[in-house]
Amino acid sequence: MKKDLFSLKEGLNRRQFLQLSANAGLLMAVTSETAFADGHDELVVAIPADTGGWDQDYLAFDLVGLALFKNCYPYMINYGVKASGSSLVMDTDSIIPVFAESWESDAAGQVWTLKIRKGISFPSGNPLTAHDVKWSKDRAFAAQANVAGIYRMIGLTESDQVEVVDDYTVRFTQSQPSSLSSHIQVICLYVFDSEELKNHATTDDPWAIEWTTKNPQHGGAYNVASYNPGQEIVLEANPNYPLDQPRVKRVRLQVVPSAANRRLLLEKGEVDIGIGLSRRDIDDLRDKSGISVISSPSNEWVFMPMSATVPPLDNPKVRQALAHAVPYDAIIDNVFNGNARRSTSPVPLDMPGHSSGGYPFQYDLDKARALLAETGHENGFEVEIVIMAGDVEQERMAVIVGSSFKEIGVTLNISALDPGTLFQRRTEKSIPLQIASGQMWVNDIEYLLATSLTPGGFLNYAGYDNARVQEIFLELNSLADDSARAVLFEELQGILANDVPWLVLAQPNFDLPVSSRVSNWVQPVDGLFRLEYLSM
Amino acid sequence: MRVIALILKRLQRLIPVLIGVSVLCFALIRVLPGDPILSIVPETATAEDIQRMRVRYGLDKSIGTQYLDYMKGVLQGDFGTSIQTNRPVFEQIRERLPRTLELIGYGFLFALILSLFLGFLSAAKVGKSADHTSRLVVLIGNSLPEFWFALVLILVFFGWLDWAPAPIGRIDSNLGFQPITGFLTLDALITGNWQAYRSAFSHLILPVITLGIVGAAPMMRSVRASALEVMGSPGYRCAVAHGMKSGELFWKYVFRESIIPLPVLAGLIFGNLIGGSVLIEYVFSWQGFGQWALRGLLLRDYPVIQGFVLVTALFYVIIFLIADILQAVLDPRVRV
Repeated sequence: MKKDLFSLKEGLNRRQFLQLSANAGLLMAVTSETAFADGHDELVVAIPADTGGWDQDYLAFDLVGLALFKNCYPYMINYGVKASGSSLVMDTDSIIPVFAESWESDAAGQVWTLKIRKGISFPSGNPLTAHDVKWSKDRAFAAQANVAGIYRMIGLTESDQVEVVDDYTVRFTQSQPSSLSSHIQVICLYVFDSEELKNHATTDDPWAIEWTTKNPQHGGAYNVASYNPGQEIVLEANPNYPLDQPRVKRVRLQVVPSAANRRLLLEKGEVDIGIGLSRRDIDDLRDKSGISVISSPSNEWVFMPMSATVPPLDNPKVRQALAHAVPYDAIIDNVFNGNARRSTSPVPLDMPGHSSGGYPFQYDLDKARALLAETGHENGFEVEIVIMAGDVEQERMAVIVGSSFKEIGVTLNISALDPGTLFQRRTEKSIPLQIASGQMWVNDIEYLLATSLTPGGFLNYAGYDNARVQEIFLELNSLADDSARAVLFEELQGILANDVPWLVLAQPNFDLPVSSRVSNWVQPVDGLFRLEYLSM
Repeated sequence: MRVIALILKRLQRLIPVLIGVSVLCFALIRVLPGDPILSIVPETATAEDIQRMRVRYGLDKSIGTQYLDYMKGVLQGDFGTSIQTNRPVFEQIRERLPRTLELIGYGFLFALILSLFLGFLSAAKVGKSADHTSRLVVLIGNSLPEFWFALVLILVFFGWLDWAPAPIGRIDSNLGFQPITGFLTLDALITGNWQAYRSAFSHLILPVITLGIVGAAPMMRSVRASALEVMGSPGYRCAVAHGMKSGELFWKYVFRESIIPLPVLAGLIFGNLIGGSVLIEYVFSWQGFGQWALRGLLLRDYPVIQGFVLVTALFYVIIFLIADILQAVLDPRVRV
């Protein structure tokens, strides 16, 4: 799971013209507040793995690869940036044109027109035109993979729904209006250098998949200056980038699989940023000189889906009892060192429409016992809890929850599964209880429902199926009115409070240890780092 | 003639061994729980999307058909396409294998030299401090997890002393060195690039020491035990009694006799290192063959696992062939 997209500002009609130059202005103001002055123009980042490939149409669940793409691929539109306390975060309320000149819809929000900036070229020298956009989206539909799957949510299923109007204008005609259109397009509107790719196409491979997988694709905020597979990727600021030039001109991404080594390199000043360190390592680094820890609220949440089909968890009352037996504060204190927020709904904090009534459960063992007794399980039961092998945080959470459940007679048997087995069992919906974490690529309840709380949703680990929830989802699909949507959001969370498909554990903050010369980190909504805003 | 007959006999067995390994591997990985497609579809995927991807990678066909398709490809040098990366497996093997072979080649050589030195020293000084020290080295090699040992070396020689380069790969990337064969030290020698050679060599030191200490332990025990046996034999004692010089005693009696069991043991250790160096590769950011295969295994990337197992099996066969030849040369009693 990984995505959350948006929420537009109050009073702003999603369906209207979205050339939000004011937001672009905000972005410029934010990114220019720190001067690039001290002559350090190369940033070194330690990353845990190399990208699995360079073809965004085919690569999924490769977080390093997806983060790279955000920095290298030309995206037509993007989110703005806003301050959140002392942090900077991507602002899903504002959508700004990047390589686009404008992005607007008709009154119904069904037909969207993209106008592309003129005079922009790919690193090959080929101009970026509407034909590149059309070719790229045709390629995505042919792939029937990442983009095609997401486009389906907004009624884009055929390549002829994407039309070239003129050399710099493309029209997207959806089969239905959707509130998610702009947010989905923030993810999907990346463009390939079609002329370049056509040079590498063959009869057997008309979309040049083999070439694209192996060769860096760029033309976004950064270009790829060199790529040494498995070892290093060097990025250079793209002089043709239409927004403010990235202030860090050169970024060296070093592949360092061992977290211990990433930490050591950061401590020795060999790298400026260590991605993917454990919380324990990060806490140890807080007091080290020369290192600072960037901390910001995150939309990632940690939860425990409970099977809606495996007894006795198929009984909502049993699930409610367990919700009263989770020591929420102990988890936040002991697993996240207090650096997390208590979430009060399956709808994450900061997601538009979040209501604190979605999860009205406090740690109360007497209440838990009483509810269990009502279900005839006053003597408790045994149940399997599945965690990802090697995930220390999940292990600690399972132990803490298990010791509390023991108090009400419920015994947890912990199974640590490797990723392959875990994916399989999640698809089979055969896991009674498990620990998972999520970060929606689209910060919207409709998207959350589609992926995680309706039958057929790939991330619906609980196998949750409620007829009214499904109706709400279908109503949301074509409902544009914000206040009407808000009513449905409220009703939905009332249902979830009763059904309790998940135990909602916490929403940990995002922490990143960096050398103290690094500043201006912008917390991405999707967890995929953006380098263009950084300063040194 | 005896050795040639041995080679021919072993080569005859090569094909059935590889076919057997491929069949077993093909079947076993499909018995494991876990569907490789589930790790590559996006979060919005439906059951139809998953099925479509299954068809793309041929996983909708029967296992028999999949196997035949795969073997047809292998015979033409096509080991399939990685489900995770969408890249040809053969190309990835070609990229990754030299990295691992260079590492374990030096590591094995170091282990061999170390084990011979310590084994004979220990036997010659049995019961004395040199013997105890050598056995302590063996104990360390046998008991310390290589992963931990590597981290300690990095902490001391890179973290504290600054003697070793950062554990981030095989060569200083600022040199912009372009490999030819993938064996960096060899490539640097071929091109006469001494700076690149020094860099590649310095990056090899710590992982090679780690592999050497771990790999030397069993071989050193074997050498020591054999040497002590020879030194206790009537022939050896007779030679000593006749006043043979110590150099002659060592080379003519002890050395040759003691290393007879070594080729088979060494072959086994070298074979194990091909996949077994994965932790060392991980710690030193080596991006080798084992690391690649482990990721493939965790995500059930069938073509990657199959490619890895086939190549490893091939190496085992070749290594044991070499071991048998060496043993046949060293020991005329060995029957072909």
